Amino acid sequence: MFKKTPVAASLVAAASLLLITGGCSATNTGKTAEAKPAAAVPAKVDYTKMTPAALAEYLVLESDGFDLKQPTQEGTTGRHRLTQDEIQKACSLGKGKEVDDKTREKVMALAAASIKYPEGGIKLGDWKKGRELAWSGYGFRTAHNPDDHVKGTPGGNCYNCHQLATDRTGGNIGPALTGYGARGTSPDMLKYTYDVIYNPHVYFACTNMPRMGAVGVLNQQQIADIMAYLLDPNSPVNKQ
Amino acid sequence: MLKKSVLALPIALAVIGMAYAAPGQKPEETLDELIKKSPNPGYLTQSPQNIMMLPDNPAWDVVEAGEKLFKEARGPKNVSLEKCDFGKGPGVLAGAHTELPRYFADAGKVMDLDSRLVYCMKTLQGFTNDDAAIKQKHGSDSDIMKLQTYIASKSNGYAWNPPMNHPLEKAMRDAGEVMFYRRAGTMDFNCAACHSQSEKRIRASVLPNVYDPLDWSKAISWPAQRTSHDHVRSSQHRVLECLWQMRYPNIKNGSDASIALISFWTDAARGQPAVLPDLKR
Repeated sequence: MFKKTPVAASLVAAASLLLITGGCSATNTGKTAEAKPAAAVPAKVDYTKMTPAALAEYLVLESDGFDLKQPTQEGTTGRHRLTQDEIQKACSLGKGKEVDDKTREKVMALAAASIKYPEGGIKLGDWKKGRELAWSGYGFRTAHNPDDHVKGTPGGNCYNCHQLATDRTGGNIGPALTGYGARGTSPDMLKYTYDVIYNPHVYFACTNMPRMGAVGVLNQQQIADIMAYLLDPNSPVNKQ
Repeated sequence: MLKKSVLALPIALAVIGMAYAAPGQKPEETLDELIKKSPNPGYLTQSPQNIMMLPDNPAWDVVEAGEKLFKEARGPKNVSLEKCDFGKGPGVLAGAHTELPRYFADAGKVMDLDSRLVYCMKTLQGFTNDDAAIKQKHGSDSDIMKLQTYIASKSNGYAWNPPMNHPLEKAMRDAGEVMFYRRAGTMDFNCAACHSQSEKRIRASVLPNVYDPLDWSKAISWPAQRTSHDHVRSSQHRVLECLWQMRYPNIKNGSDASIALISFWTDAARGQPAVLPDLKR
């Protein structure tokens, strides 16, 4: 897990306080006398005086827009899920914006520091188990229909974005990995594949791909199983 | 020179908007218009079955039930919703939904269809949050969905044209854009991860691209019948479901957070005609 920085949230809170004391809320200006008792308007902060970034942060974390106390499967709360860590913050790029060199270096260093390797070295697991994990999108969903990790094992979600074996239709947000095993199983290739599943930002700063190992969606054994699905010559990924 | 063209742009957009206002047009005709214009129609055409079924959309039954409810005297105050102002004057529904969210002076805030409807049910009809009529937000059998589907059906073929005149409308839209790119949750997802390129897929499902107003116009055309749910769903429900997949906690129905996102996404479809009611996977 990464350290969450509460700095932005407190900045927004401070800004809101200033606005309260400043008075003159635009949310009041259009109110008719008749609508007054409805009191549907929390006239505390003036949205029009905030930057878009500050207002977004306020709406997500301070405005009672989300169930911030909602329990999560990992024992935290909704607030923790919504509070950005350093990589999430650095990679929240706007329209058409690409990550700059300084940010890229920082993100890659943070990612490298997050990766933990198996004690006995990286080995391939069971491709059949890996196949099921690669297909499964179960786990860690909360909102109106929380996933129950006692009833179902969280999966790797790989097929949502990648074409793997051709017996199932995968997405195309990520590159197709059909025939991935042709890359071989040298120590370098094992490490590369492990790293990309564990925390892909180490090679691809600000990629869309989740950090399956670093955030604890997949454990080391599960990563080994998915690696076997990708690299084992007997896996359907490599039997075309 | 530059200044002139900046001024001309909103006027041109307004004219385009009016050009699409097509009373009597059917949703299938609107969709056909979008498909014909699109150089990348993968999202629009992905389900031949849904295109075929659109004229017989089960949502029309919900529209019918909604019209009855809308005109019926109801609630503690025993009045209909015919005096409700959805932004174009009391009782004016034609093209009202395609100009939401907007700022309402009586409420002092920016509202989407869902929250404006609830506001009228409370202020005009006297319902409270504890009444089933307001409490049940989802499902074709809910009053809220019947009413929303009816009201929105009067905007089919109208171009999305949410007003940006009030500073709060602009503030909400701009904050919604930041939220669209804000990465969070277990999987580090933002909305842009799935909705910023054309003809990308999650498994077999083609995703709409926020930068392609033709895609996006259909994508935000809610209420729509979800064939996989066998229910009509709202914009608020779409937000909820995306955020569920993104591993976010529950977003509150009608919250400013949800309305900001909806403000941004409606602005992104500006100028293209709404398909209402729509039929989706």
